Amino acid sequence: MKKHIRILVAAVLVVAMALSFTACGGSSEDNGEVNIYMWSDYISQDVVDQFTEETGIKVNFSYMNTSEEAVAKITSGGGDAYDLVMPCDADITSLIEGGYLAEINLDNVPNLDNLGDAYKNREFDPENKYAIPYLMNYVYVVYNPETCPVEIKSYDDLCDPQLKGQIASVTGQRNLFPIALVSLGYDANSTDENEIKEAYEWLKNYVPNVAGFDSDSAETMLINGAASVGFLFDGQASKAFAEMGDDALVVAELEDPVQLGVDELVIPANAKNKENAETFLNYILDAQNMADNLQTMMDLDGQAYACPNEAAVNLMGDDYKKAPALDIPKSVKENYFLQLDVGDAAKVYDKYWTMLMSDEQ
Amino acid sequence: MAKGAVKRNAPALATAGPVSAWMIIFVMLPLIYILLISFMTRSAYGGIDYIFTLDNYKEMFQPLYLKVIAKSFKLALITTGICLLVGYPMAYWIASKPFKTAGNLLMLVMIPYWTSSLVRLYSTNLLVMPNGFINTALMKLGLIDQPLDLLYSDTMVLMGLLITCLPFSVLPLYSSIEKMDKSLIEASKDLGANSIQTFFRVTVPQTAPGIAGCIILVFIPSLGMYYVPEILGGGKVMLIGTLVKNQFLVTKNWPFGASMAILLILITLAIMLIYTRFNKLEDLEVC
Repeated sequence: MKKHIRILVAAVLVVAMALSFTACGGSSEDNGEVNIYMWSDYISQDVVDQFTEETGIKVNFSYMNTSEEAVAKITSGGGDAYDLVMPCDADITSLIEGGYLAEINLDNVPNLDNLGDAYKNREFDPENKYAIPYLMNYVYVVYNPETCPVEIKSYDDLCDPQLKGQIASVTGQRNLFPIALVSLGYDANSTDENEIKEAYEWLKNYVPNVAGFDSDSAETMLINGAASVGFLFDGQASKAFAEMGDDALVVAELEDPVQLGVDELVIPANAKNKENAETFLNYILDAQNMADNLQTMMDLDGQAYACPNEAAVNLMGDDYKKAPALDIPKSVKENYFLQLDVGDAAKVYDKYWTMLMSDEQ
Repeated sequence: MAKGAVKRNAPALATAGPVSAWMIIFVMLPLIYILLISFMTRSAYGGIDYIFTLDNYKEMFQPLYLKVIAKSFKLALITTGICLLVGYPMAYWIASKPFKTAGNLLMLVMIPYWTSSLVRLYSTNLLVMPNGFINTALMKLGLIDQPLDLLYSDTMVLMGLLITCLPFSVLPLYSSIEKMDKSLIEASKDLGANSIQTFFRVTVPQTAPGIAGCIILVFIPSLGMYYVPEILGGGKVMLIGTLVKNQFLVTKNWPFGASMAILLILITLAIMLIYTRFNKLEDLEVC
């Protein structure tokens, strides 16, 4: 009896192997490779394997630790080591100005249509020639309705003296000055020193309300009760929701626009496998492929990422659409601003930021 | 001739060579690069334009940066003062014990420092959280009814600097107190000096190298330390170290960051220079 089972198992294995050989056989012709430099754990390996199987293009990944590294990979050493790199939207202008990016042949990327209209032809890339948005994150306000003494409707409410020492906040001049600027009715990426100075005066009322600045894990302050309000990335909010329960926090319905940060995919000017890179872009922009990508990442580490690919989002189930950190009011979702390169004004921002931070705490 | 020279220098090359090469490649060259770019200009999009300028150094003397420098000095001075006041009696007490006990006590000073300083700083944060140990304990004891607002403040940064620097004060103080000639103290007492006079006129002068060592080993690191204000200041407390970091990572103004770094190096050199005027470097017991 035992022997029969062994033979049966062996037979099944042989058949399975034979089948898997034929499965590969269809597309195993070598169509070269594509070298991608991006954040780690930010794409589903299943989707990538599927891509290789369908196209015969091998995908090699290298991973970055900071967005500065992505810029460095494009600008230094000829930029020919990678075919696709993932900088953030704020860096795109300087990369275009510096002539570091290749023009994408949109004939090879018809799936671009799947992106929501808001994410096509943006101001820093009006003809969509250089940068394709991949995934994105909001910087918005959440609060604990149990402990927060005010209902937050605008950024001005964050300066309410009742909130003294209550806000868990992301840090960085380019995250904080914009909310002051838009509150004052100016452009979020202003380069006018007088406006930046006014924003500094505004922020002087915000800083005393901050429990702590922490761009990596501001959510811990919400979780352990050190703060009742969070001004943070949606990824951080999602961790707070996971820890505290879906009803413990509310995403504030702001009348002001929120900051949206987008991770872009660009092709360096000297990329060796430009066409393969375009094939990959088109593949990942496909609605079903992107939906699979989002779903696998959510199953794997519970992280639901906001996605500019509307067609893909429409295919997603409720566990994604109703994820509390992403299921935010439409008014918030649609009213956003981007962080753009401010050029030399970065020095002005830094000056006022240093002033802001060197006051007694 | 040349061959002979190689042969003669071979032992020196083999022993000191690797370290020297290491120091040249990983310390000297980067420092020279920093010195060079501190005289360059930031390009509009955050690169370095190789155009000579002194602006980065002039910029430093703007009131707002002077304020940051002054605050860093203030915190570093207070840290040094407290480390001296706390470390001296402690070192004195340890030195008064028999040799073996003293060794064990010094070990106790060192053991907490075997854990990563980051872990220690983060746990300090947890202690002072509104629902952390200190607040919970005080509230349970009925001493306070509202959690104290301790987290992320200048005071906590000072605490962090003290936690990080204390052993650097105890060790040099201990070694010079231990070496002190005790018979001089007896002589001073025999000759009618009271204990305060004896302390200031016999003990302090004899342990001066240890005191100077303590000042150097505490003051210099606490002036430039950037992760302490970062973690315990919650990003709200700006000191020189944070300012330099921001120039490199956030503003992408490398030239200005480099000039601030050079300033820190100059301050360190100046302090060392003053020190070597009065003491030998070996007395630091760390070189």
